[in-house]
Amino acid sequence: MTSKDTTPFGVTAASPENRKLPLRRWRGAAIVGAAVLLLGVSGIAVRAADPIKIGILLSLSGNFAPNGQQTLTGLKMYFDKVGNKAGGRDLQLIVEDTQSKPDTAVTKARKLVQSDGVAVLTGVVSSGEALAVNAYSRDSKTPLVLSGDAGVDELTMPGPLQNPYMVRTSQNGRSVASAAAEWAYKKGWRKVVTIGSDYAGGIDTNFSFAQTFCKLGGKVIQAEWPPVGSADFGPYLTNLDRSADGVAIFEPGADGLRLARQYSEFGLKDKLPVMDIYAGLTFESNLPQLGDATLGIYSSLFYTPMLKTPENEAFVAEFRKRMHASPNNEGPNGYVGAHAIVDAINALHDDLSDKMKFIAALRAIKFDSPKGPISLDKYGQVIQTMYIRQVQMVDGKPENVPIASYPNVDQFWPFTEADIESFKYGYKDSKNALTDCAHLLAKK
Amino acid sequence: MTWVIHILNGVAFGMLLFLLAAGLSLIYGLMKILNLTHGSFYLVGGYIGLSVVQLTGSFVLALIAAVAAIAFLGAVIERFFLRRFHLDELPQTLVTFGFLFIFSDLALWIWGGDPQMLNVPRLFQGSLPMGYYAYPYYRLFLIAVGLVVALGLWWFQERTKLGTMLRAGVDDAEIARALGINVSLLFTLIFAAGAALAALAGVLAGPVLSLYPGADFEVLIFAFVVVVIGGLGSLRGALAGALLVGILDDFGKAFFPQFALFTVFVPMAVILVLRPTGLFGRQ
Repeated sequence: MTSKDTTPFGVTAASPENRKLPLRRWRGAAIVGAAVLLLGVSGIAVRAADPIKIGILLSLSGNFAPNGQQTLTGLKMYFDKVGNKAGGRDLQLIVEDTQSKPDTAVTKARKLVQSDGVAVLTGVVSSGEALAVNAYSRDSKTPLVLSGDAGVDELTMPGPLQNPYMVRTSQNGRSVASAAAEWAYKKGWRKVVTIGSDYAGGIDTNFSFAQTFCKLGGKVIQAEWPPVGSADFGPYLTNLDRSADGVAIFEPGADGLRLARQYSEFGLKDKLPVMDIYAGLTFESNLPQLGDATLGIYSSLFYTPMLKTPENEAFVAEFRKRMHASPNNEGPNGYVGAHAIVDAINALHDDLSDKMKFIAALRAIKFDSPKGPISLDKYGQVIQTMYIRQVQMVDGKPENVPIASYPNVDQFWPFTEADIESFKYGYKDSKNALTDCAHLLAKK
Repeated sequence: MTWVIHILNGVAFGMLLFLLAAGLSLIYGLMKILNLTHGSFYLVGGYIGLSVVQLTGSFVLALIAAVAAIAFLGAVIERFFLRRFHLDELPQTLVTFGFLFIFSDLALWIWGGDPQMLNVPRLFQGSLPMGYYAYPYYRLFLIAVGLVVALGLWWFQERTKLGTMLRAGVDDAEIARALGINVSLLFTLIFAAGAALAALAGVLAGPVLSLYPGADFEVLIFAFVVVVIGGLGSLRGALAGALLVGILDDFGKAFFPQFALFTVFVPMAVILVLRPTGLFGRQ
């Protein structure tokens, strides 16, 4: 081999394989070209009939699997109700399991957007996943409708997490906690003990409760923080300051179930009334298991299956048919998320090319839902009704009966946006200062 | 009065821990198997108990069914899987770890993901009034059960022929075999018994701790802490360790709440520094 019959790439031009190469290259190029052409043509030709793809991100395995299932049922119920059509086009749902892990949630979100080409992402159960997917939605400019449990306040408050491509139709922590505080104060409670699950969500929620309660003139006299997954609440219950007027509790999941039983067993139920913020103790699936233990417990949430509205009664009947259980807040959250997406697509007459228009259409939604009237504020956070419920026997079964409601609660209520902005301390600086009203209400 | 309740609480929780850890310790003591499937035996046992209570309403039947089913399951796992890796610790641990995951998913599939709670048996519902406080009868019952099981295990080890064979097997399996003891059968029996203890703990803990996906892993950690403190393989150690952890956990949470996350682990760390083999461990 001499240097003169060597190509610049160091390959011998005269070898038999290489003589074929130009032809192969040409053929390859032709195939690619034809494919591009075909795809382009077919893309134009069938565009009108193309379904709009909706990416659903939910925890269907792992810790939050039951929450994910309920939300999915709610989403599907609404999409089925409109015949899986919006703006004259078919809707195609693509469901991905996030396995309750934030990193998996982002991987699945990327898959939905980049390889499936979904127009909008929805679902998301845990706050950890929501923070991760929110960042992805902002970076990739993908519309995101949070319709799962994720209730972390900062997502929709003015601040570093703000994402113009996101709306949240489900819930947030502060509203539920503030409704609990408002009602407790009105009920005549002035001195309250708080018990909160010791993680960001629990601290944030009880901080919001204490802040609102202080503003009204009440005071938290003792704040207990059992770690997440506390097996035994005995030590906390024994230590509880019995001079309180009531106990405000945020304990979701298995902790709530255990605490409800143990609270009653330690003889506290009839001595110190409970305000169950977010209904961790009085969760719908807990009630049949706990029997009398939950009777009389008050709770604060934006939903109860006992609401006597036509929207809710129809919803509950259909939900029971599908899941053979009473809905908690998650089914209605999914249902409302789907409703919002369908309404927004309808408003745009199926043209989703301008994402900002789609988001504007989402933020303009207004309808009656199983949860009550729904609309969104300028940050994309839902404005909805807060309900105070009490566990009472209905037809021989314990149920969360609504006893008071606060309509049109926005994410700052009962404060204003300016108030919230002016506070010196957030929940992160306040875990050990819940009993100190001066700290909670201090201004910058 | 609060002191009495704190101590009662600690002892009751300690007894639950003892039931949990006894099986783990028993199996390790004889077979040197670090049985990670122990958590599954606890959870699945509890779930079986739950199903039986829902079907028949009888707590006693639930206990019997769960213990029998899990003992059988344990025997099968020992006979067909673990025996292939006799005294080979890493493969054994991996096998039990694998089963832990399999049972965890199976349980989620069969019993669903919502946390579930067994009802307190009617006999022990309600609580004992103690001045301004009250203490649940069921926890007093747990203390009694823990004591009975501890006594029973002691009697079995020290006073029965099987127990003697067991101790011989622990001390020197080879010589025990030479003396005509069927060590293989003994292994299967002990593994089944250890599994049964976990199932018993699962059903008894059901009304207090509730059953949910992930409980198997959480319980495993508690059991490890107890046997590390008490000394691996020692029943006396498991009892002492469990009571110590139960009481320290209660007082820690009540009086040093800012350390609540590791009230269980501090005693373990201290013991490991002072006595690496645990309180009653042998080296």
